[in-house]
Amino acid sequence: MEQPKVGVFLSDCGKQLSEILDFDALTSFVKAVPNVTLIARGSEFWRGKGLQTIVDAIKSGKINRVVVAESLTKISDVNIVQAVEDAGLNSYLVEVIDLKDHCAWPHRATPKEATEKAKAMLLSAIERAKLLEPIEKLEFPALKSALVIGGGIAGMQTAVDLADLGFEVNLIEKAPFLGGLAARAGRFFPTDDCAICIQSPSSDVKTITHTSRKCVYRSGFSEIPNLNILTNSRVVAVEGVPGNYKVTIEKKPRYVDADKCVVCDKCAEVCPVEAPDEYNANLENRKAIYMNVPAVHPQVYVIDEDACKFHDCAKCVEVCPTNAIDLDQKTEQVTLNVGSIVVATGFREFDSSAIKEYHYDDYPDVITNLELARMIDGFGPTGGAIIRPSDGKPAKKIVFVQCAGSRDRRYNPYCSSICCMISLKNASLIKEANPDAEVSICYIDIRTTGREHEYYYERARDMGIKFVKGRPTEIYNDEEKGKLIVDVEDALLKRFLDLEADLVVLATAMVPAEGTEELAEILGLDLEADGFFKEYNAKLRPTETKQRGIFLCGGATFPKDAPTSSLHAHSAAMKATKFLTSGKIVKDQRTAVINDEYCGDCEFCPVTCPYGAISLEPTTEDHFVARVNDLLCEGCGVCVGTCPMNAIELRHSRPNQMRAQMNALMSVNGTSKPLVLAFCCQECGHTAVDSSGMAKMQYPANVRIIKVPCAGIIQVNQILEAFKAGAQGVMVVGCKTDGCHYEVGSDKAEKKMDLAKVLLKEYGIEPERLEMFKMVYIEGDQFAEAAKMMTERVTKLGQLKLMDGS
Amino acid sequence: MMPHHTKKTANMAFSDEVTSRHGGETLMACYQCGTCASSCPVARLDSSFNPREIIKLSLLGEKEEVVSGNAIWLCCSCFNCQERCPQNVEIADLIYTLRNIAIEAGHSPNIYSDFASALIAEGRIVSITKFVEKKREEYGLPPLKPVGLDALNKILSATGFTKPEKTEESQ
Amino acid sequence: MKSYAIFLGCTIPARQPNYELSARKTLEKLGVDLVDLDDLTCCCPPPIQSINLESSQAIAAYNICLAEEAGLDIVALCNGCFESLAMVNAALKKDKKLKAEINEILAKVGKEFKGTIEVKHFLQVLMDDIGIEKIKENVVKPLSNLKVAPFYGCHSLRPSKLLQLDDPERPQIFENLLEALGAESVEYRNKLKCCGGLLKGISDDTALSLARDKLVNTTKAGADCISTLCPFCFVALDIGQIQVKSKFNEVYDMPILHYSELIALALGVDPEELALRSHKVKTDKIIEKIA
Repeated sequence: MEQPKVGVFLSDCGKQLSEILDFDALTSFVKAVPNVTLIARGSEFWRGKGLQTIVDAIKSGKINRVVVAESLTKISDVNIVQAVEDAGLNSYLVEVIDLKDHCAWPHRATPKEATEKAKAMLLSAIERAKLLEPIEKLEFPALKSALVIGGGIAGMQTAVDLADLGFEVNLIEKAPFLGGLAARAGRFFPTDDCAICIQSPSSDVKTITHTSRKCVYRSGFSEIPNLNILTNSRVVAVEGVPGNYKVTIEKKPRYVDADKCVVCDKCAEVCPVEAPDEYNANLENRKAIYMNVPAVHPQVYVIDEDACKFHDCAKCVEVCPTNAIDLDQKTEQVTLNVGSIVVATGFREFDSSAIKEYHYDDYPDVITNLELARMIDGFGPTGGAIIRPSDGKPAKKIVFVQCAGSRDRRYNPYCSSICCMISLKNASLIKEANPDAEVSICYIDIRTTGREHEYYYERARDMGIKFVKGRPTEIYNDEEKGKLIVDVEDALLKRFLDLEADLVVLATAMVPAEGTEELAEILGLDLEADGFFKEYNAKLRPTETKQRGIFLCGGATFPKDAPTSSLHAHSAAMKATKFLTSGKIVKDQRTAVINDEYCGDCEFCPVTCPYGAISLEPTTEDHFVARVNDLLCEGCGVCVGTCPMNAIELRHSRPNQMRAQMNALMSVNGTSKPLVLAFCCQECGHTAVDSSGMAKMQYPANVRIIKVPCAGIIQVNQILEAFKAGAQGVMVVGCKTDGCHYEVGSDKAEKKMDLAKVLLKEYGIEPERLEMFKMVYIEGDQFAEAAKMMTERVTKLGQLKLMDGS
Repeated sequence: MMPHHTKKTANMAFSDEVTSRHGGETLMACYQCGTCASSCPVARLDSSFNPREIIKLSLLGEKEEVVSGNAIWLCCSCFNCQERCPQNVEIADLIYTLRNIAIEAGHSPNIYSDFASALIAEGRIVSITKFVEKKREEYGLPPLKPVGLDALNKILSATGFTKPEKTEESQ
Repeated sequence: MKSYAIFLGCTIPARQPNYELSARKTLEKLGVDLVDLDDLTCCCPPPIQSINLESSQAIAAYNICLAEEAGLDIVALCNGCFESLAMVNAALKKDKKLKAEINEILAKVGKEFKGTIEVKHFLQVLMDDIGIEKIKENVVKPLSNLKVAPFYGCHSLRPSKLLQLDDPERPQIFENLLEALGAESVEYRNKLKCCGGLLKGISDDTALSLARDKLVNTTKAGADCISTLCPFCFVALDIGQIQVKSKFNEVYDMPILHYSELIALALGVDPEELALRSHKVKTDKIIEKIA
């Protein structure tokens, strides 16, 4: 590689900065630095004529490294690096620093000191620039295909969107039929109309108006050629990388051939076996061969293999007019290669058997909202009649109990968000069909937050549904009266009510779908503390996960209503599209690299990496060496900070580069105060520095900033190096605990600093000279305070005496 | 991750007093659902006692009403409320804490004075009289071992145990 | 032979020789050695906790320390003592901060809580150490024909997180132990509700209503007797029947027997040796049924 030739471009922001900083002094200073081959001064260099100056300098061959002192660096450097790349120089051979927000403005009261700091900052940038290496662009292939796990309304919607956009889509559902909770619920709020309804696919060109909705069964979605639907199937293994996943699916046998079944029901008629119909809340039995979702895909019967007598009976086989039944079907393993995966596994009702005092397990007349929905459904087992499961008699008194297992620290501490609305809907539907019914709702709070939701509460009151503010302590079966008694205090009246009920409906908590933990394990996804899939950042990166090619939508992340699920589903489809649309994943190789010689085979780094980007490769029978997957590596450097052998370096933030910066920043003081070095993470720490400067908050110029990708990259020996370089105090500024942009880095840094303090003591350095701070961008004032505080602290401690006599 | 809670004192002097004491730590979690009230065997029989109400008054800072009132002495310590509370509020323990505060302020039913006297004098709340010792012998029960009275009194002293005094009117 | 430090508390040794006699004789017959430690004090039940919770926790811990020093687990007969000691034992084992606070106090009397022993209820010793099978083997006078309404009381079960005796909503241990004696255990309304025992002297009307509730419901369920685990419950239901007669003019004639008395009888102990005369409601008809 040729000798570094550094061009330094000093922007004075329309002469704003030169009023504070002595630009002549800066220019002379920079001139004297070896390897600086060009210095330019101007108003701005990030656009227009100024940017052209940089481009010309590169093209002329005068410079092969670019240092720009510019303002609003987070915005300006995007333009600069693009222009550099267009000019033919690798865009990573650029270092942009901010003399305005990091120097002139926060130190405007002490312009001489500010200038001295500016010198140090420029020197640091130049020394770093000399050590920068070009970073290559990598391309990884991305298959233009997706797997959607979960055939409820969210999964179906995402699948349709992606299929419309031309991707190969595989929709997999573990039940024999699609539809999920919507199919069972029947009607959804806020419109009380059909739950099982989705936006029709654009490929449905026969639709007259492009905005019409279609019931799922007539939307034609199952006929979309590039949509492959697998029911009765589960994901059992996933290998590979984003863009190229190999998914193993276990497909349970249906025992009925989908191409032949004509849905005539003759098989069910002759089937001698009855089994409890779980789908219909065990309110009736069904046959071993059955179809329980009349309006959804697939229109094919299925055999319950636990109930069926197979060849000992085979009556269905005899009567089937198209020979569609094959009792010898076996479980199949299907392998799919997909570029991206969308998880839409939804949620289910909490098993209220745990709340023993509510007797869900042993009183048949205590049911859940979903079970009630089956009764309300005119197509359901009771034909729309509200009955007592115990004796089939009509239920005249119905009591709803809200928050059964929700907002309860013993079971699910969160609010399940939709149950007030579900109960209000169901209560109103019951009252509408049975005006003489006595319907009461026992609640802690009524939550009706969305559009049209409050109307439900109004209507319920208008209809004469009674509201009791109190959470029942117990449900008791009064055998004499033949009624259930709901024991509750009306807290507003301070009166004890023994509410009589024919039927008690528990509005149970909503919890993650069955199999969520196993699926998370298979996909390498995190779960929240409540067991739902964790979105990477619900505010800024919804539907994304820490796995680049895997997305989430619908109730799988948290209970939600249909409109929100729909929104989430479309959103996930869009994200997956962005990911797949170019057929490749392009990424800079700003990743970690292992030095095999030093790798100690200790296995810390694969465990520490938040993205699973490090794996162990065997070198001999007993030994391994760590390997970084460039596609998965997010360039945080937490592995670098973790490795006890210092065997990992992060490209573009290498230890030699950081050392050069540290030495440079500490080489010029020019203030009467002790030097303090602050390692600031590029996400929150560094931006907090930005914001303090932007707001012109004042702190002393002896505080010098070094930007790192993540606080987790800092090694303990680097702290010692900082002191050796001349720092009298060291600050580490990272993201807040739950907000670290790289998941774990900030917390790991904190732990490491505790360790470092112990070591400092051994070296005769007061541990208080090192301090870790956690803050976010808008807490610039906290940065200024911290800088002042550290300065005062190390001033009081006096001059540091290192053991080597310096 | 569960969100952090930063505790800010909002001029809730009585709540702070209660939560800083043994047994009172969980007061603030209450969201007035009323499960405790309907679980309570006493509340149904005596309208002057309602655990939800006592907690509400404490949360509102009505120290005087709670501490000098009769209600807190009516809890039968059955722990049904604590067992069923969805927010894990330690209601029965809270009643003890409120009683502790009341006694420090000089309010309590006279019977508590008797309990305390017996405890301090004999290390037991039921006296072992000569009659009892004789009966034990007759039944063939072993004689009772000596009580660690000294240790007990040292502990009472170290924990600031206030002996409740009897008042003119019985509470 | 397993040894336990027996914790009698205050009420039983003074006023309930029936409980103490039957418990000692039962455990002796079943091969459990009981040690009476020196220096035990009151366990500091709710009335003392109401005066000062910290004092009570420290004194309870002190008593546990005595057992720790002797290397013995504790068996408590009275629900109140069980709860008092078991709660503190569990709390100090779990909460380091609380343990440190209490140990600071105990240091003043030369003690340190280490968390090395268990505090067990009489029922737990029977269930866990002896076991249903061995009890059945040793029954010589099965209590067949006897319908017993088990009354757990409050403090054997609650607060369940700390006491961990059995499921607080659907406990079975008492029923199983009754059935091991050949008796039929009877379900009745409000089985787990408090007897009001601790309200005596504070609110006698409420206390009596709660006691009466038990008598009404066990009678409705066809029980021959109620079996108790706690001296306070015993008094509330036994002497309580006299007060109920006086106030409500109702006679229930429902004998109250501690489980220890029932098991002692089933194991063949002579009724004369059990101080049954101390019961206010005569137990004669029960003795007859068993004979």
